[in-house]
Amino acid sequence: MRFIVPIKQVPETNAVRMDEETGTMVREGVESIINPLDLYAIEIAIRLREQHGGEVISISMGPANAEKAIREAIAMGCDSGVLITDKAFAGSDTWATSYVLAAAIRRIGDPGLIICGERATDGDTGQVGPGIASFLDLPLATYVGKVEHVDNDVCRVRRLIESGYEVLETDMPAVLTVVKEVADPRLPTLRGKQKARKVEVPAWGADDLDTDPNRLGLKGSPTRVVKIFRPQVTRQCRKVTAVDEESIGPAVDELVEFLRQRELI
Amino acid sequence: MSNKYNAVTDQIVERLVEIVGEKYVLYGDAEKLEPFSHDEVAESQYAHMPDCVVRPESTEQIAAIMSLANDERIPVTPRGAGSGLSGGAVPVHGGIVLLCDRMNRILEIDRENLTVTVQPGLVTNEINDALSQYGLFYAGYPMSLETCYVGGNVAENAGGGKAVKYGVTGRYVLGLELVTPTGEIVRLGGKLVKDVTGYNLLQLMVGSEGTLGVFTEITLKLMPLPKSSVDLLVLFRTAKEAISAVPTIMTAGGIIPTAIEFMDQSSVRASCEYLNESIPYQDAGAMLLITVDGAHEQQVEREYESIGELCLENGAIEVYVADNYTTSERIWKVRRNIAEAFKVVSPHQSLEDVVVPIAAIPDMVDGLGEISGRHEVQIPCYGHAGDGNLHATPVMNPAWTLDEWHEKLPRIMEDMYKLTHSLGGMISGEHGIGHKRKKYMNFVVPEASLEMMRAVKRALDPNNILNPGKIVDVNDAS
Ligand SMILES: Cc1cc2nc3c(=O)[nH]c(=O)nc-3n(C[C@H](O)[C@H](O)[C@H](O)COP(=O)(O)OP(=O)(O)OC[C@H]3O[C@@H](n4cnc5c(N)ncnc54)[C@H](O)[C@@H]3O)c2cc1C
Repeated sequence: MRFIVPIKQVPETNAVRMDEETGTMVREGVESIINPLDLYAIEIAIRLREQHGGEVISISMGPANAEKAIREAIAMGCDSGVLITDKAFAGSDTWATSYVLAAAIRRIGDPGLIICGERATDGDTGQVGPGIASFLDLPLATYVGKVEHVDNDVCRVRRLIESGYEVLETDMPAVLTVVKEVADPRLPTLRGKQKARKVEVPAWGADDLDTDPNRLGLKGSPTRVVKIFRPQVTRQCRKVTAVDEESIGPAVDELVEFLRQRELI
Repeated sequence: MSNKYNAVTDQIVERLVEIVGEKYVLYGDAEKLEPFSHDEVAESQYAHMPDCVVRPESTEQIAAIMSLANDERIPVTPRGAGSGLSGGAVPVHGGIVLLCDRMNRILEIDRENLTVTVQPGLVTNEINDALSQYGLFYAGYPMSLETCYVGGNVAENAGGGKAVKYGVTGRYVLGLELVTPTGEIVRLGGKLVKDVTGYNLLQLMVGSEGTLGVFTEITLKLMPLPKSSVDLLVLFRTAKEAISAVPTIMTAGGIIPTAIEFMDQSSVRASCEYLNESIPYQDAGAMLLITVDGAHEQQVEREYESIGELCLENGAIEVYVADNYTTSERIWKVRRNIAEAFKVVSPHQSLEDVVVPIAAIPDMVDGLGEISGRHEVQIPCYGHAGDGNLHATPVMNPAWTLDEWHEKLPRIMEDMYKLTHSLGGMISGEHGIGHKRKKYMNFVVPEASLEMMRAVKRALDPNNILNPGKIVDVNDAS
């Protein structure tokens, strides 16, 4: 079976600083890693391949250096990877990203399971997995905590929902987005790293995919970021102090008056 | 013995207030003084209350305090952050605790001579925070770097996980300004890389545990900041296989890694279970955590690859590679949480710090296993394999009462220290002697050497007022 894992390269959160003026992230000099929640998708894909045979292909849309994320995924145990990169993709929102990733999956062909992380730690939307499913017109199960069964025809998963769990069965092929409890990601090994360094990672641009140029990148993105700001915590503090026997009385009076004025007592 | 010292009277407090100001003398409030009665040594029998705490802000103030204390025969115990693990900052004879926290400035970054000059109360971590913008770094720091002070590091000659490649604090101390026990201000060394002008008093001060002088200014040597760093987590079937890989890495590999940390089976298990970590540790009898750093990514890549290959040739089950912060944190967490993990077994532990020649580590681990069986006590063993420094930590058997533990621990320690000595080792590699390990000094140090130490102490501190009761007792003379 062919398992396809779309992954995203994100900045190392430990190193993230915010630009006070623009309210955006300073990406300069910040190391990039695989979105930590995608590691769970990679892990479950590798485990399913270990059980059922087949191959795991990781794909990532991003700048040229997102190739590093793909090589890391291969070092963990994916069989191969494809980088999807083009100036035309710059500025894509979740809609345009899902659109391109779906086109790439179509080009790879014959997917069994497409497994995504729950969401990316930088954008935090969780929309790309469902987006891919809708562009490919495939069944979708989100927040999957356990893959109970999979064969060529059906896939049964346990979803995490607010009040507990839900067991779903879907036709194959299908798209899953997975949560942490699905499987603990393994660490990349030395042998994996060595293999990953040698593997050829093809890079596909807009011309390599069957896409409509008007639906790509910023131009193809219906989402507009109007403003980015940091929510201000507006708590005003008034301190009432009592240091000795004498000041206790007045301090209590002051506090009572304060609360009374606000009709809190 | 403490009756030869005078108590801190109201008059003395007044004179201390004159020196540092009222705000900076803590006196008469047991609750406020309590935190200064102990350091990070957990056992309460090592604690002792001070009479007062003073917080000077200058060398001159410290000199005035020392000369007052010397004239009045009042013991003074210097204190940094109190993160020590041998009781060094505990005022065992009461008296004055001299807290360095207000002297916390970086005085100079000298980029031409590659030195930094700091005050003793600076939190060690802040040196590298300030230096990174210049592409420089200070390499001597211990693993407690986020809390401890530079003064405490120099006084303990602290060593960190990176000692294999970079050495310990002492290697970086080029100059010291200090106040002697009699109140003189003295400068030793400077910014010189080489200096054989007379006895090496500078290095005598390093590791003196606050017994020979109070450091007031410290000049440290700097290095270029390594740009790339990778960690390997290597699983072995046995401790012996893990340890024998260490010299091979350095000789056959021709590489000195930045860190080589060792964790025995019980440490790895406890920590992984505690963290819910799924690294396949079940088959591993021991693990090594190896760090390589350098100026170029490609060079670091070549080095970790050849270290990894050597480990696999020498029986490693698996080699994991962490080349980003997130993955590195995941594997260092296993190492850092060992002590915490054993607190689940019992909060009563004695964190030991034995050091043996690296080739003797497997025998040490075997011997500890034997002691552990004989005393029915768990002794997880982990630490800096690259330099032979092992934190073998007896953990109270939960079936015992506290009294039983206090009765048995000294016997366990004696056996551990005898074993260490028989393998050519010493009882402390980096945490120091303080008063916690003083009674064991004669297990490993010959009487003639102890007498030399006492002679030094007597010569520099004739009234024995500076941190008395630590390392050796001057009155134990033969
Ligand atoms: C979690 C943890 C991890 C640790 N890891 C390491 C490690 O990796 N390596 C290591 O070596 N240690 C380690 N330690 C032990 C401890 O952090 C070090 O010994 C450190 O150097 C102590 O610094 P401090 O400022 O806390 O000193 P304190 O504990 O306050 O004092 C230590 C000694 O220094 C003397 N002193 C303090 N300031 C001065 C001064 N200005 N002049 C003269 N003497 C002075 C005191 O009198 C005392 O004898 C660790 C401790 C903890 C709690």
